[in-house]
Amino acid sequence: MPTFDELIDRHHDEIYRYLWRLSWSPSGNDPADTAEDLTQDTFLRAYRAFGRLRPDSNHRAWLYKIATNLARNAWRKRRWSEPRQDIGDESVAELGGLEELLLNRQQRAALQAELDRLPLKQRAAVTLRYLHQLDYVDIAAILSCSLDSARANASWGVRRLRQTLDAKEFSL
Amino acid sequence: MTRQPSQLPTAVHQLFVQLIPEPPAADLGRSRQRLLTWYQAEAPAIAWCEMATPIGPLFLAAGPAGLQRISFADSQADFLGEFEPSTRLVHDPDGLAPYLDQLRSYFGGQRRTFSLRLDMSSLTDFQRAVLRAAAEIPAGQVQSYAQIARRLRKPKAARAVGQALRSNPLPIVLPCHRVITSDGRLGGYAGGLKRKRALLTLEGALFA
Repeated sequence: MPTFDELIDRHHDEIYRYLWRLSWSPSGNDPADTAEDLTQDTFLRAYRAFGRLRPDSNHRAWLYKIATNLARNAWRKRRWSEPRQDIGDESVAELGGLEELLLNRQQRAALQAELDRLPLKQRAAVTLRYLHQLDYVDIAAILSCSLDSARANASWGVRRLRQTLDAKEFSL
Repeated sequence: MTRQPSQLPTAVHQLFVQLIPEPPAADLGRSRQRLLTWYQAEAPAIAWCEMATPIGPLFLAAGPAGLQRISFADSQADFLGEFEPSTRLVHDPDGLAPYLDQLRSYFGGQRRTFSLRLDMSSLTDFQRAVLRAAAEIPAGQVQSYAQIARRLRKPKAARAVGQALRSNPLPIVLPCHRVITSDGRLGGYAGGLKRKRALLTLEGALFA
């Protein structure tokens, strides 16, 4: 079992990046302060619960899960206040059409705006999958959902982005 | 469930890299520093080190309130495993120099008593009372578990005295090895009877 020192050393940076990316908005304020506060809070809670953790636990996924829950609470108070649909166990969408894509400024702005409109669960799923490169077993644990739901949330997020490009008739 | 290796579409990763920027390194460093500062304040450092002695390697650990552990652990990993994982352990032989000096002079035969700050905060009142009673036995002498129990005015508690001594976190300095059975047998010792015999021999309570 790692010590708490090691947990900070190994995982601070990725947890901060994750919270920063979740807090980031194309039109919003600098997410640094929010990400920093949430990161502190994540490790504070982890520290309090650390003694009760089983030695064979997946510490990395556990930290991401705490971070995600804190981000969810923080955003309930802010931008995520309006009700949004959640994705159930839907079939996994093809990712075709987004691959090997180099975005121009207009496309990027449109996609960023769409990304910003995603429900937290989808935003977290795509961030964990496509930026932090976690596997779906971990993502399901972090989002407290089934493996199918973890896949569906990530693929649905990507599908929304693809639809955005299609709707705007951007050439791919 | 078998865990499948992650199959990541690199192109989609590249897309997301274009969409969400990377946090500035300075902000990331500031967060890391704030976390470390908090942790250092929250969890005071426990200094530890290993020392060679005639009875084998000893591991020592001390915090701000004093020496809190002397261990006969078989390995460094075993010793560090004795602590809560949230403990901030720092390998610091220099910080433990006062403890090491007195232990060295004890094993060298120049010292019979210790004058050290001891942190016994993790112990129960009864354990503390038993260990203090043991500490009053001069080097070169022994007392029985029953005698300690009588001194604590708990004459029926000889067995509990034995258990309290067995969980002594500061052996040698708190000399639980000076307590033996009423009929003169060595009794038990957390570090093994070989070490108990060696310590009593060193102190002149037993003939080599």
